[in-house]
Amino acid sequence: MIQIMKPFKSVALLLSLVLLFSCGDDFLEPDPTSSISAETFYSNEQELQAALINIYDGLQGTNDESSNSNHATQMEFYVTEMRSDNTRTKNGEGEAAQFDDFAVQATNGLVADHYRSFYNVIFRANVVLENLGVASEETMPKIEAEAKFLRAYVYFNMVRLYGPIPLVDHVIGINDGEISYTRRPVEDIYDLIIADLTTAVNELDNSNGRNRASKAAAQALLAKVYLTMGTNYTQAQSLLEAVMNSGYSLEPNFYDVFYNENNTEVIFAIGYVPGIADDSQNFSAEWLNGVGRTVGVNYVTDNAVQALTNNGGNRTEVSIRQDVEELAQTQVTKYLPNGEVGELYGGSDYVQPQLAGNDWIVLRYADVLLMHVEAILAGGQETTVSAALNSFQQVRNRAGLTDPVTSITKDELLLERRVEFAFENQRLYDLIRFGKAQEILSAFAAQNGTNFSANDLLLPIPSGEIGLSGGLLNQNPGY
Amino acid sequence: MNLKLKLVLVTFLFSVMASFAQEAFNVKGKVVSGDDELPIPGVNVIVKGTTTGTTTDFDGNFVINVKKGDILQFSYVGYASQFIPVVDQNTPLNISLQQDLSALDEIVVIGYGTQKKSHLTGAVSKVKNDDLDQIAVARVDDALVGQVAGVNIQATEGEAGSAPTIRIRGVGSISGSSSPTIVVDGLVVDNDYLGSLDMNDVESFEVLKDAASAAIYGARGGNGVIIISTKNGKEGKTKFTYNTFTGFKEARQSEDYYFSIKDWTDRELAATGTLSDKSRYKLLIGVDQDWQDIIFDGGIIESHSFSARGGSQRTDFSTAFNYVHDEGVLLTDDYKKYSLKLKINTELNDKLSFGANISPSYTNRRRFDGSTHDILRQAPWLPLYHDANTIQYVNQTLYPDVKIGDYAQQEHFDGYDLDGDGGSVNISQTSNTNPGAKVLERDRNDYKFKMYGNVYLKYKIAKGLAFRTTLSGDFQNTKRDRWQGVEASRNGAADTQLDISTENRFHFVTDNILTFDRNYGKHDFNVVGGFSAEKYETNYESATGIGYDSDLLQTLGAATVISEGDSGEFENRIISFFGRLNYAFDDKYLISASFRSDGNSAFGPNKKYGTFPAVSAGWVVTKEAFLEDSRFLNFLKFRVSYGATGNPQIDTNNDQIDSYPYLSLIQGSSAVVNNQIVNAFNPINISNPNLQWERSIEVNPAIDFGFFNNRISGSVDYYNRTSDNLLLDVPISATTGFSNALANRGKVENKGIEMELRTKNISRPNFSWSTTFLASQNENTLLDFAEANGQVSNVDTKRASEWINLVGHPISSFYGWVVDRDIPREFILRPWERAGQQNQDVYVKDLNGDGVIDDDDKTILGNPYPDLVWSIGNDFKIGSVDFSFLFQGSHGAEVRNMGDQYLFQHFASAAGINFETTPDQQFIKQKIFTDDIVQDASYVALRTVNIGYTFPADLMSKMFVTKARIYATGQNLLYFTADDYTGFNPESINDTSPTTYGYQRAGSPINRTISIGLNLEF
Repeated sequence: MIQIMKPFKSVALLLSLVLLFSCGDDFLEPDPTSSISAETFYSNEQELQAALINIYDGLQGTNDESSNSNHATQMEFYVTEMRSDNTRTKNGEGEAAQFDDFAVQATNGLVADHYRSFYNVIFRANVVLENLGVASEETMPKIEAEAKFLRAYVYFNMVRLYGPIPLVDHVIGINDGEISYTRRPVEDIYDLIIADLTTAVNELDNSNGRNRASKAAAQALLAKVYLTMGTNYTQAQSLLEAVMNSGYSLEPNFYDVFYNENNTEVIFAIGYVPGIADDSQNFSAEWLNGVGRTVGVNYVTDNAVQALTNNGGNRTEVSIRQDVEELAQTQVTKYLPNGEVGELYGGSDYVQPQLAGNDWIVLRYADVLLMHVEAILAGGQETTVSAALNSFQQVRNRAGLTDPVTSITKDELLLERRVEFAFENQRLYDLIRFGKAQEILSAFAAQNGTNFSANDLLLPIPSGEIGLSGGLLNQNPGY
Repeated sequence: MNLKLKLVLVTFLFSVMASFAQEAFNVKGKVVSGDDELPIPGVNVIVKGTTTGTTTDFDGNFVINVKKGDILQFSYVGYASQFIPVVDQNTPLNISLQQDLSALDEIVVIGYGTQKKSHLTGAVSKVKNDDLDQIAVARVDDALVGQVAGVNIQATEGEAGSAPTIRIRGVGSISGSSSPTIVVDGLVVDNDYLGSLDMNDVESFEVLKDAASAAIYGARGGNGVIIISTKNGKEGKTKFTYNTFTGFKEARQSEDYYFSIKDWTDRELAATGTLSDKSRYKLLIGVDQDWQDIIFDGGIIESHSFSARGGSQRTDFSTAFNYVHDEGVLLTDDYKKYSLKLKINTELNDKLSFGANISPSYTNRRRFDGSTHDILRQAPWLPLYHDANTIQYVNQTLYPDVKIGDYAQQEHFDGYDLDGDGGSVNISQTSNTNPGAKVLERDRNDYKFKMYGNVYLKYKIAKGLAFRTTLSGDFQNTKRDRWQGVEASRNGAADTQLDISTENRFHFVTDNILTFDRNYGKHDFNVVGGFSAEKYETNYESATGIGYDSDLLQTLGAATVISEGDSGEFENRIISFFGRLNYAFDDKYLISASFRSDGNSAFGPNKKYGTFPAVSAGWVVTKEAFLEDSRFLNFLKFRVSYGATGNPQIDTNNDQIDSYPYLSLIQGSSAVVNNQIVNAFNPINISNPNLQWERSIEVNPAIDFGFFNNRISGSVDYYNRTSDNLLLDVPISATTGFSNALANRGKVENKGIEMELRTKNISRPNFSWSTTFLASQNENTLLDFAEANGQVSNVDTKRASEWINLVGHPISSFYGWVVDRDIPREFILRPWERAGQQNQDVYVKDLNGDGVIDDDDKTILGNPYPDLVWSIGNDFKIGSVDFSFLFQGSHGAEVRNMGDQYLFQHFASAAGINFETTPDQQFIKQKIFTDDIVQDASYVALRTVNIGYTFPADLMSKMFVTKARIYATGQNLLYFTADDYTGFNPESINDTSPTTYGYQRAGSPINRTISIGLNLEF
């Protein structure tokens, strides 16, 4: 009996130990406690609102070095301003220098970063659009309109940078290769942009502040879309005039546009706060001499210095300065980080320039005014229409250039936009929209001993995507 | 009356009778080794059936109180025990102990059990800690270099206390870890424990190399297993030991990385016939600093270890304390380790025994918080601090506050009026602060408290059948802090920062094992079956404070802003069932089969469990009649094994995804709206409910042999391991919103040959010499990489040298253009330039001959894995002197030495080529994109040399010391590298990603150590 009992005791002991580990069916399925399983998420409007804010987080981008993070707006200057005649790297270092020289490779990591980051923002918008059902009837259209505005804003930039691109208008997975690797015609992308912005114009109002989508922002953006397409100047003009009647105005002092955040000139800006790693930006530091992770990028070209010096009025000293470390170099000063002890602005001796809080202005009233001129010009070479002259004069007056304007040529408008929006990632798009890119960038390249061709107007599709597509995705010409 | 009681009674009666019948007396004797007639100290001499006993002294002598008719038992590790009846007191007993048949019959720990070495059918190597504890290193893994064929231990990081990279039979995993599983006293522990164990307390290492042997660890066996057994107390007198060593360490420097301003200006003078103002000024300053001397400041290493071990018939105990302090060879690096050990085993009765084991340890590691390349690329005219001489060159207008003792910055020297004519010479190349300040003004520490232990209960159910239940666990608390002081950056106080993080990790395991171990005549069975459940729980928090005005208060409270904070927890749970049968017939035919099923909480509902079977067989040919009488061939065994193992390690850099990869997870995020931070929620991954274990299948045929009375013995193994279903964080189309997703993709093959050869060249009473030769060859091939085949990666977009993962080649191969020839000096603008100023271009080959250099001319330039690793060790004993040395070498690996780029060229514009005159410019590329910096990482090192002297026992016994030995030892006293290698450590590899392995950014150096030590036993 005893001999028999003993193995039983052992088994009992074993079982008690098993129980100690509370071994049930779910032993191998512990629930995460510091993250949420998505299966049950987006079940109410509050969670949907959080998903909506998450699109802005996506646009804001992550202030870090990780090669997998979404850096979005924080790195956008590389593929826009640095590909124009306005800026370049300080020392010609690394992959960023490919933008200086119009020698971008399909393997360029910054291009891949950009492509990845903005498709992530599109994904975040699609998550919201896909879960609209949990919202109440009255808020649903507003949430939808806001997500669509943001999606359209991203697609508008993407289509201008890459040309035909995959059109993702819902949440897709790893097995949706056909969507991921089919480049849809530019027209299809614009159809989506116009549809999304139209929804936004119809449903939004201007009550949500300047860091969130608004009716005015949607109107201004849609106007820019029409100007870019060059097909609907009338509608562009009326959209812009609607914005002009919405209470926005030029900030009297050009400096305050950038250093007095959320001023009345700002229509839509991407918000940052200083000192907080998750909600700050680093581009302000990157543009200085070795303050960020680079030794200096988005440095001002001599060509842009000249344009500003000759035509900028009082905007010049707000826009650029001599690098105190390297006197032959010129830096951008529109977004000096709060932490930098600026020679010119005597910045508050705050903390870590890499954690800067300067908002990134996407749309401001001066842009609306100059687009208004552009809409009236309607692709022509010159205008003397008084409404156009009036808008143009407002911008000039603020810059201290008060001589009366009697006519505006297309070239004058382009130049005015250059000095007004220098380093605001507008220049490349302006050159393309005005049909001047080939002429101006070729001359600029020749000045610098580099070579520009029309192919350089589009970025390459990142080579990683091409590789993954197994031959489905074709490259832009010239890469 | 049952049998047991009868026996006790009979024994009692006999002993009573004996004690009445006999008078006690002392008997003397001496124990020598039958092999070489040398006395054996420390032999246990016990009167059989009693607790009376003693041990032999230093000369093998003993005296013991006995009675006539007693039987004395002489036992000593590695020797067959002898039983000698006592006849009378006048005849001294001269005992000659015979070594166990051969070393081949060692007992080997194989995971959940042991086995005779001669019965092994898998590839298991055993390393006994005979003198590993005399190697003056702070970590146990550092001492294992060159000890096991097929185990490559590489000093990838040279900081004090940093872990070397251990690879058993190559790299099988890409995203997951390729480090072996570490088992200490039966508990699977984190690899980090190798940094907190006390080498003096280690009895042996067993390395399970092939899949069949490692399959008993199932899902964790895929990269091999290292089993560490700590020492147990032994029956007999309590032994106290004190082992210590103290040594001096220095770094192996690089000749190529030595820059002299004198040499620099001499070159300029020779080339141009004149010196520029800058050069004249640099010479005038009078500093010619070799920056290697500053960052490689050398240090002391010391170790003190006390132990007491002993036991009675029923109970044994082992206790040890160890302190190690390693100052490292780099500036600021420092490592301190304290460890304690207590282990008790006791038999409650003939059936039931239990034991407990607890090992707390504390380590404190200060880091070298910087990178050597940043310091070494400095111009040699810059001193670390200003002194009375250099202060006179400081530009007082711009830097009025700089005084003697301050860090010297390059810009301090600008604007100097060299000729007193109002001129101004600028020599700075950087606006950065002094490179030494970047390291010295940072303070980064890792503090780790760890504890592992177990309690077990063992019950002998029947003859040969036993049940053991063990509750074990480990706890790790890691605190890290990192202070960046005011002077650490050119931005001063604006860049001050304090990072603090803590992590607690609990790991509990219950193992329940039934073993059956019994002979039936010629049939020898060993069966193990078991069940285990375990749990890992981790919690962490971290915070970053910024905006300090000074270095005075390095606390979060003193920060202006807490810029970052995080916290969280995650869990992993495992359930395992396992079993193994080892069967031997007549010690001749051997077979083993095992099975393990592991369930892991990380995987989706349908893929939780993985099964890992293995079989192996052996044939001891020398047991066959036709070879039994062979004079020269003593042992010959053929064995072959086949098994499956796994690897569950997922590494996406996000613990939440790594813990719950089968779920779609959402984490907190936030955005700024009108200057307010608003909370949001962000999806962070694409889930994969079908994710499962990485799997490795390995086949391993081998031969074990022993010739000439086993004077020559060894083994040869061939293996072929294919790992598939790799747990990869594969790139996916960014249009999904993500750039990576976890998936089981790809296939890697590692195959190779391993050889171990041990010879006893001379065995004489006063002179012995033995040699061990180990060699292993491995070939790594990527067999499948799904969509990612041909993926080109880089480490740094600014210096975008490329790696490729291409089927048919080793994973993470170097990729780029092939150097054709250097650009002739006449086309280089300033060919005399040195530190950071040399020409960075080179002509490359137009491989496809189309007249254009483009991506099509890139090719594979090498890989970071050695083809051949070998070691040769020699042990000599001449009287009381012992002498040993170990050479170790590695051949066939390359390293991408980015140090060259930083130190020599550093995107210099000053020394570019002359674009007007240089021909064939279309064939010119930067050296970083070519094989110019892919260098041969082969080396041959004198890893260890050790010479010891053992004091005569009669001298020592007067001081109650049973053994005293002093020794001197050196590590890496000789170290040879390939001709084209320019750095200071070909083994050094920066921690990048698995697809860009082999990147060296100057790295950290090989440590060269000379020390003296003492072993005392009393």
